Amino acid sequence: MYLLNESEVIRDIGRLDRAWSEPETFVFLSDRSGVPIEWVEQRMALFPESFREGHFVLMTSGSTGRPKLVVGLRKRAERLAAALHVVQDSEPAKETAVLLPLTYCYAFVNQWLWARLKGRKLVLTAGFGQPDAVLKTLAEAKDCLLCLVGAMLPMFAAHIPEGVSFPGVARLHFAGGRFPQEKLGAILRYFPNARIFNNYGCAEAMPRLTMRSLEESNEAANIGRPIPGVEMKVGDTGEMLFRSEYGAVGMCDDGGLFALGENDWIPTGDLGEQLDGGCWRIKGRTNEVFKRFGEKISLLQLLETVQTQWRGQAAFYRECDLSGEDGHVLVLAPEATKGQVQEILRAFRQSHPRTHWPLRVESIVTMPTLPNGKVDYGALAASEGKTIHWRQRI
Amino acid sequence: MGNREKLKDLFVDVFLIEPSEFRFDLTREEVNTWDSLGVVSMAVGIQETFGYHMRPEEAVAIKGVGDIIKVLESKGILFE
Repeated sequence: MYLLNESEVIRDIGRLDRAWSEPETFVFLSDRSGVPIEWVEQRMALFPESFREGHFVLMTSGSTGRPKLVVGLRKRAERLAAALHVVQDSEPAKETAVLLPLTYCYAFVNQWLWARLKGRKLVLTAGFGQPDAVLKTLAEAKDCLLCLVGAMLPMFAAHIPEGVSFPGVARLHFAGGRFPQEKLGAILRYFPNARIFNNYGCAEAMPRLTMRSLEESNEAANIGRPIPGVEMKVGDTGEMLFRSEYGAVGMCDDGGLFALGENDWIPTGDLGEQLDGGCWRIKGRTNEVFKRFGEKISLLQLLETVQTQWRGQAAFYRECDLSGEDGHVLVLAPEATKGQVQEILRAFRQSHPRTHWPLRVESIVTMPTLPNGKVDYGALAASEGKTIHWRQRI
Repeated sequence: MGNREKLKDLFVDVFLIEPSEFRFDLTREEVNTWDSLGVVSMAVGIQETFGYHMRPEEAVAIKGVGDIIKVLESKGILFE
């Protein structure tokens, strides 16, 4: 078993191809994970002999902020990439441009592994760290498959000149968070020829569980149907559980290493329900639904209220109020005006009882994000330079 | 800014009512956001704005804006 750094792979993509072909298990790590190598090496020492060949290991902190190594079986990942090719009708795509970190399971499977298996061209970029290169890559794209997370859309708005579009993008996938339904107008302007898909999964799924095409629903929370080989059900507490022939075979975190059995039902970390017609709908993260003064609070629902009035980014972090009761703080990015905040507060008053209102409304120039583009909730609570627009005084 | 304006601004902020909805004879029954948490929020706001710490029984007994003015005026905080 050995470590493979993202920077090493960016310099020579063949390094990843060779690692995939060789039997020895490798741990593919981002240079920006912030997790000490010693932590990783200590976890690697826990791996049994059966995991030391034919596997690959990625690191995730997902939305929890706690690092976790996820162990995948290469054969399973290849089967998933092949299945995605079919259900996402990817045959017309001749290349894929990578704007996300390649160590992100989404980019790793949906793009790198897909390109390898299907003989497609892989175009690496440094993401919006080098916006001019992104612009050039997308402008030159031809029959291109692109994977994005919704949190990247503000970067398009910031770096892509108005009126510029990318007709060479033929397939556009969103994953890694809520589908940005309210930004659809802008997405269609950027990518007028793309077929658009909402993808859903989690690290334990390695990473894909369901998929829906844009046309199937106009609801952001609709994640579509399980892909062939995936079963889903709702657990006793409303949490969505899955069983997948592509899923991870092991996980390793501060609590040690544990194997995931083929027949285990694994929690996705989200609450959900199956809709008529077979599609699934997310009702919130398990840690985003909580009781406040005895009332059930769903941060996902509150976010939907915010987004009726706010076109920028919005996120909640959890905080107790002065009485010690669980509460939540709303953060907007970029900086909001007094009038914009008033509109959001008006929407809260009209749609929710006071127990659902945030303890504060804050705004910040840029939302702190993890390398995978998701909001860094740990940093969000501690971020300096936030403006407090309103507070409940409780 | 006078105390009347300060009280109006506080009400608008605590109960998220429109400025045009505010009246000095407004009662608790007329404001659907004037619930038990609103009472606490209002009491904290009064302390921050007028420096008077309202006792819980005082805060709960208030039936309208006029009662707040009466309590504050009894403490020497005038609204004329």
